[in-house]
Amino acid sequence: MRASSAAPLVFVLAVMATGALAQDAVEKEVGSCLECHGEPDFTTQLDSGETVSLTVDKKMILASVHGKGLRCTDCHAGMGEIPHPERKVKDASEFHAGFRDTCKPCHFDKYALSLDGVHAKQLAKGNEAAPGCVDCHGSHDVSPSSEPRTRISDTCAACHPDVADTYMNSVHGKALAEGNPDVPVCIDCHRAHDISDPRVTSWLVKTPELCARCHTDEAKMKKYGLSTNVVQSYLSDFHGVTARTSRARGVDTQGGARVTALCIDCHGVHDITATDAANSPVLRANLVKTCRKCHPTASESFPDAWLSHYEPSLEKAPLVYGVKVFYVVFIPFIIGGLVLQVMLHLWRVVVNR
Amino acid sequence: MKETFVRFSLRQRVEHTLVMSLFIILAVTGFPQKFSDAGWARGVLRLMGGVEIARGLHRFAGIAFAMLAVGHLGTAIVLVATGKSRLSMIPGRKDFADAIKTLRYYLGASDEQASFDRFDYRQKFEYWGIIMGGLLMVATGLILYFPLIVTRLFPGVVIPLAKVAHSNEGLMAFLVVLTWHIYNAHLNPDVFPFDFTIFTGKISRHRMETEHPLELQRLTGDAPPREDPKKGA
Repeated sequence: MRASSAAPLVFVLAVMATGALAQDAVEKEVGSCLECHGEPDFTTQLDSGETVSLTVDKKMILASVHGKGLRCTDCHAGMGEIPHPERKVKDASEFHAGFRDTCKPCHFDKYALSLDGVHAKQLAKGNEAAPGCVDCHGSHDVSPSSEPRTRISDTCAACHPDVADTYMNSVHGKALAEGNPDVPVCIDCHRAHDISDPRVTSWLVKTPELCARCHTDEAKMKKYGLSTNVVQSYLSDFHGVTARTSRARGVDTQGGARVTALCIDCHGVHDITATDAANSPVLRANLVKTCRKCHPTASESFPDAWLSHYEPSLEKAPLVYGVKVFYVVFIPFIIGGLVLQVMLHLWRVVVNR
Repeated sequence: MKETFVRFSLRQRVEHTLVMSLFIILAVTGFPQKFSDAGWARGVLRLMGGVEIARGLHRFAGIAFAMLAVGHLGTAIVLVATGKSRLSMIPGRKDFADAIKTLRYYLGASDEQASFDRFDYRQKFEYWGIIMGGLLMVATGLILYFPLIVTRLFPGVVIPLAKVAHSNEGLMAFLVVLTWHIYNAHLNPDVFPFDFTIFTGKISRHRMETEHPLELQRLTGDAPPREDPKKGA
């Protein structure tokens, strides 16, 4: 009992002491390792005949987030001995794979999340090109991955250039380039570590919930003069009811079978535009074309079946509003009258007795 | 031996059972769609295996309801035209007088009770409520079922119009059944706990005397029995 209550204090002291000592130790160790690894053409040849570079840039590593706290051997365990113990590495891909779990001991939370991610699943399937930690974060040059924010989409763009291009031309991407802090970057929708496969039906059908995170945020939407009713009005209409209660929510089939029109089906995904842009697929002039993506026989008046996220009112859809109001009055009138008659009858029965 | 009269034919009893079953299916599959915001509605839809299944059942029951309505109205027209049925459901001036008389009786303003023929004004009200409401539900339901065809002939706004009407009319029908019909067929002290007439087709002489004296008189030629109003229903 006593030992465990003292443990946090001991831990904190230990960390503080390490912190103070670390600086020297890091500089010292980096210095000694770099006597060899600082050489510009320091390489080794693998069994496959491939040559891999073992050169490390001193300035780069000291400028990285780990430059002030980690020693070389914290990541390169077992390399403290000189000469290094001999290792059998077949080829370059195996050489790099050897570092996949390097970050795990310190960043276990992120590591665990990444195991649920689409990249780890690709790797498990044998796709060696699937990125691990260092492919996104860098290795000796690790620096805060979201500073500046545009760096996030640049990171994804390295492997996903087409979709990144499309995104950068969207209303969100253009605003990001201008330094807007509110627009979503890749990871706001796709997440950073536990990235879901966006082609899986059960994930797709839940995407309105992603859009809702920002588009129901009163303060955020007010800045841009956007309505926060867009999600509720969608959810209460035919497509939205389907999205929210479809059997597909539990179906993990790949291939992205379309269940119903989701936000992205009308507004676009990575190519989303402002709703009043000339090329916007939801502009009334372009809307029939958009409807016809799913309803090929839609007539010119079909899009008017959708009240464009507006609640019926005297200005918007007065007829629909009128019928709504009629029932608001009529239902209580009828039911009230009938209940009143039932009560009167019961009263008379009691009086008769 | 208790003397009974045949009040409903087999066809009428089957019709009632079908309407009742379809009404329940339509309500169970319809309201979770209307109230899909609510947790209970999503629970019901999940139990059914998703909104797709609920919609399938709802449309199937709706088509069956529509065919039943067409069959009923067609049969009624033929029976009346061939003189095999009287126009006993058509409301007339007497029904309004009966309603006022009954309300005065309930309020204690008068001890005189209305004497009814085959159907009293409450039964006519409920019948025409189902007919008119049912036709509205069938029409709006078909509009919602086939929006692409409908918008080729009519402006797009008919779709949200049909939706508001269908959804509210359905709610009203459900509430009427919940209050009015459940009272008249079950909770009313005269029939509590269950009026079996619509299932057996038979009604007792006593109930004919109190509830449908004019019909009884027509059937038997008897003069309606003078009842002590204080004892009657």
